[in-house]
Amino acid sequence: VPMMTGEQYRASLIDGRKCYLDGELIKDPGEHPLLRTAVDSVAGTYDRFYDPDPAAFHPMYTIPKSREDMDQRIAALGKSDITAGTTAACMALVEVAPELGKLRPEYRERIYEFFEWCKEKDVRCSEAITDAKGHRKKRPSQQDDPDAYVRVVSRERDGIVLRGAKLHITGAPLVHEQVVLPTKSMKPGEEQYAVACSVPSNAEGLKIVNTTNAPRGGEDQRHFPISHRTNMPEGLLVFDDVFVPNERVFLDGETSHAASLAHALGLWERSNAVAYSGSSADRLVGLAALLAEMNGAADRTDIRDLLSEMAIFATMCRAGWEAAMANAVTNEDGTLSPASLYISASKFYNAELHGKMVDILHDIAGTLLVEAPSMADYDNEEIGDDIREHLAGDSGWSAQDRLKLLHYVRDLTADTYGGWIAVTESLAGGGQYAQRLVTLRHFDLNNAKDLARKAVGL
Amino acid sequence: LITGDEYRASLRDGRAVWLDGARVPDVTADPLLVKSIDWVAATYDRYAGKENPMFSLPRSQAELREQIDFMLENDRTAATTAGCMALTTLGGDALRSYTARVVKNDLRVAAAVDDTAKPVSVMPNKDGVTVSGGKQHVVGAAVVHDLLVLAGDVAVAVPVGSPGVRVIAHTPAPRADDDRHFPYSRSHTISEAIVVFDEVQVSGDRVFQDATAYADTLTIWERARAVADQADRAELILGLAQTISEMNGIETVSHVRDKLSAIAVYAKMCRAGWESALANARVTDGGMVCPDDSFLYATKAYGGHLYSEMTHYLHDVAGGAVITAPTIADLDNPEIGDALRKYMRTMDGVSGEDRTRIFHIIRDLFADTYGGWDKVTNQVVGGGMHHQRMATLDSYDLGPVKARARAAAGIL
Repeated sequence: VPMMTGEQYRASLIDGRKCYLDGELIKDPGEHPLLRTAVDSVAGTYDRFYDPDPAAFHPMYTIPKSREDMDQRIAALGKSDITAGTTAACMALVEVAPELGKLRPEYRERIYEFFEWCKEKDVRCSEAITDAKGHRKKRPSQQDDPDAYVRVVSRERDGIVLRGAKLHITGAPLVHEQVVLPTKSMKPGEEQYAVACSVPSNAEGLKIVNTTNAPRGGEDQRHFPISHRTNMPEGLLVFDDVFVPNERVFLDGETSHAASLAHALGLWERSNAVAYSGSSADRLVGLAALLAEMNGAADRTDIRDLLSEMAIFATMCRAGWEAAMANAVTNEDGTLSPASLYISASKFYNAELHGKMVDILHDIAGTLLVEAPSMADYDNEEIGDDIREHLAGDSGWSAQDRLKLLHYVRDLTADTYGGWIAVTESLAGGGQYAQRLVTLRHFDLNNAKDLARKAVGL
Repeated sequence: LITGDEYRASLRDGRAVWLDGARVPDVTADPLLVKSIDWVAATYDRYAGKENPMFSLPRSQAELREQIDFMLENDRTAATTAGCMALTTLGGDALRSYTARVVKNDLRVAAAVDDTAKPVSVMPNKDGVTVSGGKQHVVGAAVVHDLLVLAGDVAVAVPVGSPGVRVIAHTPAPRADDDRHFPYSRSHTISEAIVVFDEVQVSGDRVFQDATAYADTLTIWERARAVADQADRAELILGLAQTISEMNGIETVSHVRDKLSAIAVYAKMCRAGWESALANARVTDGGMVCPDDSFLYATKAYGGHLYSEMTHYLHDVAGGAVITAPTIADLDNPEIGDALRKYMRTMDGVSGEDRTRIFHIIRDLFADTYGGWDKVTNQVVGGGMHHQRMATLDSYDLGPVKARARAAAGIL
């Protein structure tokens, strides 16, 4: 089966799925003003990677076995929309397939069959992991509402029935399969919550309630130079007794392995974030340097101090990924994974200092960052000349270029999309505390203690 | 003193305002600007028939506290108008005569201080002066009556509706058709503007000489309000972080308490800085009582330096629903409303809708358009964090600390 084109992808979304936004049922996401550009970006990825060869597939379906594979995969995902990243992360299921196969051989077979099916059909998947969770300190089995975590409410001969909700599901209304995984480890007695499976987006009983970071009321896309093209909805999935056939069930009741799936996907999700953190940080440094030049302040000592702080941040972000790959590990099926220690430490470092780097950017930019006239103002015959005259400084920057730079930085750091970035950088793939725990778990503390003992002479 | 509706009518004065590249024929009918106007109109209605406190100068610490409380409870143009009133302490019959008219007609005034790339110039002529050039970061320009324009040693009160005044407005007001999931910014935004003066003729009674020192006094209440608001905002961050932690059931988890304690320290220090500015209030030559500038600068610098860290902690304890909580319209939809209430709920006493509303206010204030605007303007107004630190150093009395250092070192 050949890959899908962008047009075929758009058509594939009109499949009876129940998607809601702002309280309304959306019949065709591709036609909705707040979802249209996200659909365009996914369709653009399809067209960009389209190859009519029946054996062709998107590089996200390449399971990396070497550094070269990993570099190619990262490069390809860098040219793709976010749903390619979530799909690629879901393919990490194959990493735990051997382990699950030891529980029940059919789990391993189903995972590989699902992987091949996704690759052949060229579909997109979401990572449906985070449950509603109810009272956070209580176990799933202790909640006053048993549906606070997604669970199996009944088992039939040919499948299971799911009830519950999954939150913060990036790209949910725009993908074909919702890959449902337990959000945490489960204990004996919590078998109904130890469930992993894949559910088609148009499954009977599934409702997808969305929010979006797409610009609202922004008919003039130039005012939102990033978010008008890279926005993505986040879905809240409601499973109202959804039937899932056995062939799409990858775990059902084995509490001992509930967390291993989420851990495998989480590593890939965090790895994606860390892999791009260096280039994202470089972009921040570049934006700060341009703002300084624009404001005629590039040579000021205090500005150079700030730029050097950002340069150190960017360099350390890049170093984190390099170290993770230099210490990568390979599982028994040959899949290469970046080193968890460096991934978690880098993820924490990046998220912890992101706000400080944005502060520097804002300090250099000044108030015009959030008060600059729109490009439509610039085009207006009555006031366009005013803007050209009053915004052109003596640094050689035209008013138009100043506006472009200011709108880009506002959109990235001080508007709806910027807020989404700040929250997701901190929380996606586990919050900051989780990164600390994982880092400490993987850190060779005994070696560190030995060094200390020797140094002290104990 | 006039009502909110009379204020609205007064804005239909032929003013030339643009927003999003289009001329706004009537600011009171524009769906975005009307959010600012409604906020100002509410202040008018609150004081209709009474004396508005912004027209009075505080003469004691108690009055100073009342003045700031008033500014925090009302719209932003109250602080800029009060700044105009504060200028009367600097003297000048023309200015006193003008401010008397401001009081009598219950006008609102914006401060036009920061020049654009084409600074404002004022040329005398037989009927008064001609004003040319541009000002940026003019808070409330589209929704006030007069702009108090500073140009070197001259100040000019320019009616916004004057021929030749062009207001290029911007607003952080929410643009959603249904803005109920923007609980703060739907009713508490004030538009700002770049204002172009194209040979604007202004009568002589609106021109004030010897205005070199005006800038500091004109903006005194905006400066003070910002620091008082920072203390309130810090406490709000703590309140929201504690509330959402309790709603999530994690308020006793050790790493959450670490973050809550960090925010609590921040809130206390912001409050301490503001209280110190009040406790060390100075009396100006004109008899007005003002907060101490060195404490204002230091508190502003401190608050700005840690603000992102505190909002980061707030996001962390709240979780991803800050940006993914369903809207009020979703809750209203009978097909999905009950399910959303069920899954946004966490325990007895925490309804799904209440928790959703907490996420909305966190997003609106700290992770969306208004939050971005608020953060940036607070951080960079007045020159940014570096300048705030420098202002703190410059206003610090270094003599005693150097003497202390010498004494400690045994140097006479």
